[in-house]
Amino acid sequence: MLPAHNIYFVELPLLIVLISLVYSATRFDEWVPILREALRWGLRLFAFLDAIGFALYVLDRIT
Amino acid sequence: MSSTASSPQAWSLPDRLSDPTAALLSYLIPGLGQVYQGRIGKGVLFFVCIYTLFFVGVYLGSGTVHLKHGEDDETYSVSSNVYLPDTAEQNNPFNLPRLAANLYNRPQFAGQFWVGIAAWPAVWQYVNYDRRQENGDPVLGHFERTPSEAALNAVHTSGDKLLELAWVFTVIAGVLNVMVIYDALAGPAFLPSNAEDDKLAR
Repeated sequence: MLPAHNIYFVELPLLIVLISLVYSATRFDEWVPILREALRWGLRLFAFLDAIGFALYVLDRIT
Repeated sequence: MSSTASSPQAWSLPDRLSDPTAALLSYLIPGLGQVYQGRIGKGVLFFVCIYTLFFVGVYLGSGTVHLKHGEDDETYSVSSNVYLPDTAEQNNPFNLPRLAANLYNRPQFAGQFWVGIAAWPAVWQYVNYDRRQENGDPVLGHFERTPSEAALNAVHTSGDKLLELAWVFTVIAGVLNVMVIYDALAGPAFLPSNAEDDKLAR
């Protein structure tokens, strides 16, 4: 049976980190801009997913 | 022509040489084209990130369930979520060609395919699929083989929603590799800064 665990602490952070790194590395060739851009995109993705999670949490509480 | 800050040439994109060999290599194995071009660090980064995404997705999308039916103990297995079932006969609303109809029914594979060699077993299984082979394909076994509907239902209902998240991982890996292929073909979106060019532009 598949183990049931919380995706918010394992899979989604991994997804955010890897997507940010690959996307940023396709935009730049040098490590400093790659890492800076990856951090920027990682924070944007985190904020976006967090906002959706928060909206769903609020909906769940009020309904 | 002189290059000044006000001239359009100072801000125009530099000519890019396309490198189809590197693009092909990056399709086959993510990052291999960049390694071939001498951009080894970036190639390794692409390889590690994309294969981590893909194989974590494959792992999350697999599962085995043992269910009791009366006295019998049935085992259902899903080996991965990278597969292309032949469902054109069951559902083909636009009378598409067979392959297009199968991709219409499982569009995830159109994204997963771009991860390169790692998705080729699914192509082999699709071409050589025979429902009567209980032990799977003679060469690849059950790896990236279309699971039976009973196995999918059993693993889905016994686990949580990880199977759904799993295909997201593998599709994103494939789609990101399209960007990696383009990086190998034409270079990064922003080329490395060149002090000489900067001086000219000023």
